[in-house]
Amino acid sequence: MRKKLDDPEVNMTPMIDVVFQLMIFFIVTIKLNEQVNEDIILEDAVHGPVIQDVQDPRLFIVEVDRRGAISIHGKTHGASQLRNILATRRKRYGSAEFPVLIRADYRAKHQDVRKVLDVCTDVGIWRLDFVAVKEHKATAGRHRGDKGGGMVRR
Amino acid sequence: MSRRLEEKPRIMMTPMIDVVFQLLIFFIVTIKQEDIFSHLDISRPAPDPNQREEQIENLIEILVGHLQTGFSMNGRIMTSDQLEARLRELASYDKKAPVVIKCTGQSLHGKLVTVLDICWEVELRNLSVFSM
Repeated sequence: MRKKLDDPEVNMTPMIDVVFQLMIFFIVTIKLNEQVNEDIILEDAVHGPVIQDVQDPRLFIVEVDRRGAISIHGKTHGASQLRNILATRRKRYGSAEFPVLIRADYRAKHQDVRKVLDVCTDVGIWRLDFVAVKEHKATAGRHRGDKGGGMVRR
Repeated sequence: MSRRLEEKPRIMMTPMIDVVFQLLIFFIVTIKQEDIFSHLDISRPAPDPNQREEQIENLIEILVGHLQTGFSMNGRIMTSDQLEARLRELASYDKKAPVVIKCTGQSLHGKLVTVLDICWEVELRNLSVFSM
């Protein structure tokens, strides 16, 4: 009898359930601490092994843009500063066996990428990784568009 | 008034739902699908004067930046397709053959990555990069 007096009400519970599920999904998948230079366009390398979500806190990413500027976490550094940073890391970890990823633009000249390689070799890091794009999701067609369509390889 | 008192106490859901919707819209708008990245491992040994005289067997030498843009292998100019075919053939004999990739200063980094990708494709893993 009382029900009839009330306003008709939509059952909110299933909607709230769904919204919460979505919320949890987005909160879990969002990455806030990524600081990468968006201007760097990477070469495609469809055969290279996928970078797994690297949990190693020692991971070190060096970026080289198309003009040859070296940067770490968005801050530009000279080769000597990079050497100091890597030497400090090496001392802290007690070995040179920490992963170093190089994100270099495909238009960068080798003489600029070489500076990073030479610094790493000087510090004693032999194993280096170049980052490339295995599969386009966010930047679909951008790189290919530059090269006049088709695969990158010419 | 009398009806109010009869009802059970209820938590107000409306503000919470408002906040949750705001958050949801924020996440939906800001989410960006990530590219899948691959990593190409190389080793870069420092020049060791004692090893220079040594001849390494089955050494595959690739020059990136030959005549500005091209590749050459063991002295022969090649396109990337020819390079791939030749490397596939060599890899079928010996997958552990050391590959030395030499890059000129003016060569583009993308070209080096292309060569490394070809090497990965044909399962040559012993890759070194030298700069000229």
